[in-house]
Amino acid sequence: MSAITLKNVIKKYGAVQVVHGVDLDIDEGEFVVLLGPSGCGKTTTLRMVAGLEDVSGGELSIGGQVVNNVAPKDRGVAMVFQNYALYPHMTVKKNMEFALRPLKLDKAEVDKRINDTAAILGLGELLERRPVQLSGGQRQRVAMGRAMVRTPDVFLFDEPLSNLDAKLRTQVRWEIGKLHQRLGTTVLYVTHDQVEAMTLADKVVIMRDGYVEQVGTPEEVYTAPQSTFVATFIGSPSMNMIEAKVVAERLEANGFSMPLPDRFQGKVTEGQAVTIGVRPIEIKRVAASSTGAMQANVEVTEYLGNEALLDLRVGPHELVAEVPADQRVEPGKVIHIALNEGAIHLFDTVSGRTLSE
Amino acid sequence: MTRNLRQNILVYALLAVVLIVFMTPIYLIVSSSVKPSPIMFQKPPAFLFTPTFEHYHDLFAMRPFTKFIWNSLIVALGSTAFSLTIGSLAAYAISRIRHKRMNDVAFWILSMRMFPPIAVVVPYYIIFKSAGLLDTPLALIIVYSTANIPLTVWLMKGFFDEVPLALEEAAAVDGYGLLATFWYVTLPLAAPGLAVSAVFCFIFSWNEFLFALMLTGSEAQTATVAVMSFWSSDAVQWGRIMAGSFIILIPGVIFVLTCQRWLVRGLTMGSVK
Ligand SMILES: Nc1ncnc2c1ncn2[C@@H]1O[C@H](COP(=O)(O)OP(=O)(O)O)[C@@H](O)[C@H]1O
Ligand SMILES: [Mg+2]
Repeated sequence: MSAITLKNVIKKYGAVQVVHGVDLDIDEGEFVVLLGPSGCGKTTTLRMVAGLEDVSGGELSIGGQVVNNVAPKDRGVAMVFQNYALYPHMTVKKNMEFALRPLKLDKAEVDKRINDTAAILGLGELLERRPVQLSGGQRQRVAMGRAMVRTPDVFLFDEPLSNLDAKLRTQVRWEIGKLHQRLGTTVLYVTHDQVEAMTLADKVVIMRDGYVEQVGTPEEVYTAPQSTFVATFIGSPSMNMIEAKVVAERLEANGFSMPLPDRFQGKVTEGQAVTIGVRPIEIKRVAASSTGAMQANVEVTEYLGNEALLDLRVGPHELVAEVPADQRVEPGKVIHIALNEGAIHLFDTVSGRTLSE
Repeated sequence: MTRNLRQNILVYALLAVVLIVFMTPIYLIVSSSVKPSPIMFQKPPAFLFTPTFEHYHDLFAMRPFTKFIWNSLIVALGSTAFSLTIGSLAAYAISRIRHKRMNDVAFWILSMRMFPPIAVVVPYYIIFKSAGLLDTPLALIIVYSTANIPLTVWLMKGFFDEVPLALEEAAAVDGYGLLATFWYVTLPLAAPGLAVSAVFCFIFSWNEFLFALMLTGSEAQTATVAVMSFWSSDAVQWGRIMAGSFIILIPGVIFVLTCQRWLVRGLTMGSVK
């Protein structure tokens, strides 16, 4: 049985629709990340699952039960808010007790759960402090503790790391992943950070303008992006996109030409406008004489230690190549490159959808 | 002399002036309440005299003054409690419900405070007479609450607006309904507002004179009215009036001091972010 199911879920604010028919199945124990740029409807979707926003259309189920009209308190979910939302007039311990009170447990069980959670999260020393006396990272941990003590069926996280500095973010991200392995609770996690999504998720849901663009494992969304949006959104630096036309079994772009790889035979038509996608790491330096070599002007070189990024100009196209650091060249130089044909992606330019399938 | 020192002297001088202006009436009340009647209006005023408690004795001997103080307390505490309950619930609704007419509702509530009390004394008298409530504390509690509720609504709305919605949402997800969230999360965070409202409601009700005079008789009379009953056409019993006034001062001061510890600021700090 799936833990959470969204069937054509819609959200409207007045006349404005911000979430357009989202379909999603989340399995028991799965870690699902909603990923997308700011304003794409991630938080709104999460809040509908929590019951903090009404569902304007479609069907939302938790644990097999349709919950469209069920109050948040009866949904068996716990949420970690973006800005933590700790009760400021209560100590850390009281914050957790308060979350437990509706469960009507006996005193011994309450104390046991609080102590266990405090031990897991390293909150032991902080139990008698007020939120105002805690650092950002500690508050974040208390917010997680308050959600954990209830042992909910589902954890909801809304950008839980966005208020932490970079170093702490990495650490807490790792802790969240470990916690999920340990507890095995279903998680729905919202972020705009692809690193968080790729490292934590069993399943990534990529959203854009209120639509789901693609659902898949981190590997699937990286290696088989279904649209130009996903292709450029996932991966850093971004995938290079080159607009081209299919002409006589070749991909022709202004100042750029390559044979159509065999695997796209029959998937494109003569004259079709297509977009070639190639990750920076799939652009190699080659000898000028080798087949398919293209001349490129190096405009900027960024040294990153192990590797270097070359900003290249090929005719009118700007491409980024990621090469081993020892292959980097001075800006202003001319080099020869070739695309790894086996690794290119092809999209229909008009619809933006993949042609790889 | 340093600049700082000069500034300090100026500040303290101003403070002294303010203190003198505010404390002189109190001094007069206290000293007159223990001054023997013959030297009450002596010029220049007598500063040194043997204090007497005869006025206090007379006050309680000639009037059931203890009962009147009880009446005052019942009316003031009753109206304060009622106004805070209704007022903060109303303020919460106005603060949280998004509706384009909400501001009009809020203004309409405030407008209840704008009419001159004297204009409604007679209607109130007629209403309470036909309802059989004349000369009861309940009548005064109702009347004072019509003035106290609007004030509370306006004060509390401001404080509720400051309580982050995310905290209420956290409570909702944690398993609390609307009223429980209000009671355990929102209201405690608006406690300073509650304290301010309580002080204003209490002081207004405790000091009120006009309605108390018109709507009560021997049973529900309040202390303010009782004190003024020593002011008659043939004689003004200044000593007793001052003794009564001094006693009236005390509960107000105690109430304000009690509320003061809730007047702490920054209670919502560290909750979100
Ligand atoms: N209460 C609201 N009223 C109207 N529009 C809203 C409201 N909340 C969010 N929106 C709009 O819905 C869209 C999605 O918002 P949100 O879910 O917060 O995005 P995300 O979390 O992905 O950044 C945005 O365009 C935002 O402006
Ligand atoms: Mg958001």
